[in-house]
Order: sequence, then structure tokens, then C-alpha cells
Amino acid sequence: MSDPIREQISAFLDGELPDTETELLLKRLTRDAELRESFGRYALIGEACRGTRGSVLTRDLYVRINRAIDGESPAVIPQIAAVSRPASWWRPMAGAAVAAGVAVVAVVALRQHVAVAPTLAASQNPVPAASAVTFVPAPALANANVAAPSLNPNEPVSYTTPATLAEAPLAMPAARLTNYVFAHSKYPSLLGQRDVLTDLMVGSEDQTVPPVATDKSP
Amino acid sequence: MIPGVVRRSAWLLPGAVVGALLFAIPHPATAADDDPRAWLQRMNQALATRNYDGMFMHVSDGRIETMRIVHRVQAGRVTERLTSMDGSGREFIRSNDELTCYLPDKKTVLVEQTQERGPFLGTLPQFGAGVNEFYQIESLPNTRVLGRSARVISVTPKDQFRFGYRLWLDEKTAMPLKTQLCDARGNVLEQIVFARLETPDTIPDAELAPSVHTEGMRWVRLSPREALPVDSAGFRASELPPGFRLTVTGAQMLGGASLPATHLVYSDGLATVSVFVEAGTDAKGPDDKVDAAQAPMQGLARVGSGFVFSTVVQGHQVTAVGEVPAQTVEFIAHSVKPSAGSESTRR
Repeated sequence: MSDPIREQISAFLDGELPDTETELLLKRLTRDAELRESFGRYALIGEACRGTRGSVLTRDLYVRINRAIDGESPAVIPQIAAVSRPASWWRPMAGAAVAAGVAVVAVVALRQHVAVAPTLAASQNPVPAASAVTFVPAPALANANVAAPSLNPNEPVSYTTPATLAEAPLAMPAARLTNYVFAHSKYPSLLGQRDVLTDLMVGSEDQTVPPVATDKSP
Repeated sequence: MIPGVVRRSAWLLPGAVVGALLFAIPHPATAADDDPRAWLQRMNQALATRNYDGMFMHVSDGRIETMRIVHRVQAGRVTERLTSMDGSGREFIRSNDELTCYLPDKKTVLVEQTQERGPFLGTLPQFGAGVNEFYQIESLPNTRVLGRSARVISVTPKDQFRFGYRLWLDEKTAMPLKTQLCDARGNVLEQIVFARLETPDTIPDAELAPSVHTEGMRWVRLSPREALPVDSAGFRASELPPGFRLTVTGAQMLGGASLPATHLVYSDGLATVSVFVEAGTDAKGPDDKVDAAQAPMQGLARVGSGFVFSTVVQGHQVTAVGEVPAQTVEFIAHSVKPSAGSESTRR
């Protein structure tokens, strides 16, 4: 990615890019998958520096959805319907329409995954990296009384800095974790639900499942 | 009401309803206009009740996705359309209680009846008085975003059991032009930034119609199911991080499971953590091999901007999930015990 583009994206995220340039940047990003990928790498710089890439459910989920939909058979649909709808009293507040729909898709994917690959689920073989989520030992419990520093809008911050994870991972089937995440995503959130939603809106141009990270923190 | 079910408290009323009520109340220009909490309420109200049409970028986990949102409220009917601008052509359209997901790349349309009224863009909970004890909510100096004067609101956690937000709200409409989820050190975990946002008085039907041609696509319609009974005397968190309390108790059939899981929801008024408790099952498949999908688990995972921590308590799988720091899900999961006793809050 060229420096001018990087500067444009940086300025955009800082709210400092003029409207005319914003429009141009947006058009370019929507047209140019390579540029988006480049931006993704750019945003990952902070993570790479810290060696903190943790588990990534999202792409794996995305692939699962696609696989499931591809192989869906009518016979499976009633079974899906039987498990896809939370009870009405579970209904959350604002924002949950997305989660509900996302949950449906997730259940479609997961149920279908079970239906079409029973031998995988019953196998003694280790869960493949592509279908597993990294588990790591939790960091020590922080002191609850420690006051966090104030967020200073004048300080430069990385665009997306994930929390630090460390040590040896354990494998957990992504399908199982996905169920928990989607069940939880019915609850109010300003951004978290969109993390899930975004993955379902993403196109099929990238079906690569990222490797499960085993990096250690510095 | 289902026996054993604890209804959500008043601040969990659907945002649209609350928003509509607030919308009906005139807001004279008073000192209260500078109250950041009032601004957050106005934002919720704007997201639920305004017409808007915009394009935004969602930056998370090292990725950027561009989407268009169109939201219309007309004669009490809410219709909204979310479209991926990055190539898939996928669209989600919600019209009151029906959500339709168009997946042209998979030649599939999913339709679900919903009862929610919440906007695609989500909202923050209606802050209860207790939120002030655990978050510092303040106005920061105004700035300009998208060429508009923006009110900057900071929601800073007072400890490391929760995340914070920074929001840039359009001074004129209270729409969130930019939203960031931050950790306790101020690092941005995730953000939404609008590149274009209009709030027209009217939005024509054509802007809310799917652009996807559905000929030859498979339609999957999903209908509601009955509520599951709740194990009201089951597991509960015996100790909680400051400010968290049980807000929902329920049961849910998770995919691939043969028994419903107890679903407990703990909230501090802003952050929410779900706890799932599943009865121990025989993790062996029909051929006596270990079923990886049901095997006991213990450990921590990061998912998006949140964390999942799973452990085994007296033969039950206990899993805590939330957009909170790792130590919060771990703390809560570790405190879950097979007792119906009330929780104590850590001080």
C-alpha cells in the first residue's frame, strides 16, 4: 500500500480526511479487494509487533456458513428450524434483530456441519486447525481496584489492537464456540454484534481460514 | 411468563420503544443538553427512530469492511437494509418483524420472523444510575467528523473488568458518526466510521428493496419455536466483578447438543456476559471414539473484541462469553457453583 493511501486511511479513521477525498477513498476501497487486504495488513501491524494474534473465529465461521449453505438439503431444514429460534422471552433489546438473523445462519451452518460430517465429529483425530479455535490460559486476574487510565483522544492509538494472549493453546471446536458466541450476541452491544454481522456480510472472495495462532506474547 | 424466567429489568426495554417515548418529549436547550448521558440516549433514539442512509467502514481484527445502511421509519413501520459493498452482494433486510438475509453468492435466501425492533446498527443499553459507579461518562471537546461538528463522548471503565467506548455524535442529529470500542488503556479494539451519512425526511421504497435477483435461489424459512423450561435451581455465579448482577435466566438449545443449556446473563448496566451451563455428557461417539465437539474444555479464547472462558464445574461445562476483558469472563466462570444462592459482588 502506498504511503499516500495509508495516510488517507489514517486521516479517515482520525476524522480528518476531507469529504471529497473520503468519497474517493471509499469508492476505491469498495472496488479494490487488494487494497482492502493491504489495509488489513496495515491494521495488523500493531498486532504483529506485539506478536499477539489470538484465535480468530470469524473467518472460520464464514467458511462454515458457506460450506453449510452449499450442501444444505431440504431434509435438514426442519431440524434447523427446531433449534434456531430462541424463546420469545429471550428477546433482547435494540440491536438484536441482527443477532437473531445471524444466529439463524450460524445454526444453519453448524447444524449442517454436524449433519454432513458426523465422522468428523466422532473422530479421535485432533480437531484440524481450520476448524478449531485457540484456547490459551487466562492471564492473572487483574486487581479490580486498579483505576484505568483515562482515554485521551489526543493520544495516538492503533486502529485495532487486540488484547494480549499468551502461552500454549488448547483446541476447541469452532462450531461449539460459535454456538456460545451467537447465543450471547442477542444481548445489547453497540459494536460487538456488528463484528459477527460483518462476517456474514463479507463476500466469498476470501474463504481462507486463518491459521490458529500459537504466538506468544513478548 | 415462563416459570423460572427472570424478566429483564426496565433499562432493557427495547430501545425503539424508549426512543419513541423520548422522542415525544421536547428537549429545550438547557444545561442538560451537555449531559453526556443525555447525548447517549439521543443517539439510541436517533438510531431507532430516524431515517438514515449511509456508508460505513467496520474496522476490526485487522480487517476493514464497507457496508451501506438504509433505515426508514414510516407510519410506525421500521424497515432497514444492510448491504455489503465489498463484493459478495449480501443483503440483510428487516421489515418490522421479518428479517430476510439475501446470500446471492450462495443462491440462498434465509427468512426469519423476529420480534425485535432494534436497529441493525445496535444501541447502547439505557444507562441505569449504577453505571456511574463503574464508568466515567464525560464529554470531550467537540471535533469535526464528515465535515460536521461532532459531540465526543467518552465512556471510560473505572476498573479493568470492562471495556469502554468513544463516540463521535453528530451535534445536529445525534447519529454516531464514529464509534470505538476501547480497552482500559484506551487502545481501540474495534470501530465503525461513517464515510457518508444522510438523514433524509423520506426514503423511497426503492432504496429498501433488495438489489438481489432471487430467481432460482433457494428460500429457507425459519419459524419460531417454543420456550424451553428453565432450570431455576441450577448453577449460579457465587461471586461477581463489581457492578455485575444477574439480569436474565433462561435455557437454550445450542447446536449439536442433546440437552438445553442454562443461559445466565450478567450485566453491569453496559457490559454483558453470558454464562452457559451444560450438563455433562458422554463425550464418546457411537464408535466409542471421543466426540471433539462435546468433549470437556478448559481455557480462554478471544473472539472478535470479546473473550470466552470455559471450565468444568462438578461435571458441568461452564462457559462465560462477553465483550469484556479476559479476566472478567474468567472470574465469572470460575465462580459458578451448583447453588441457587444469590451472588455476592466483589468490592
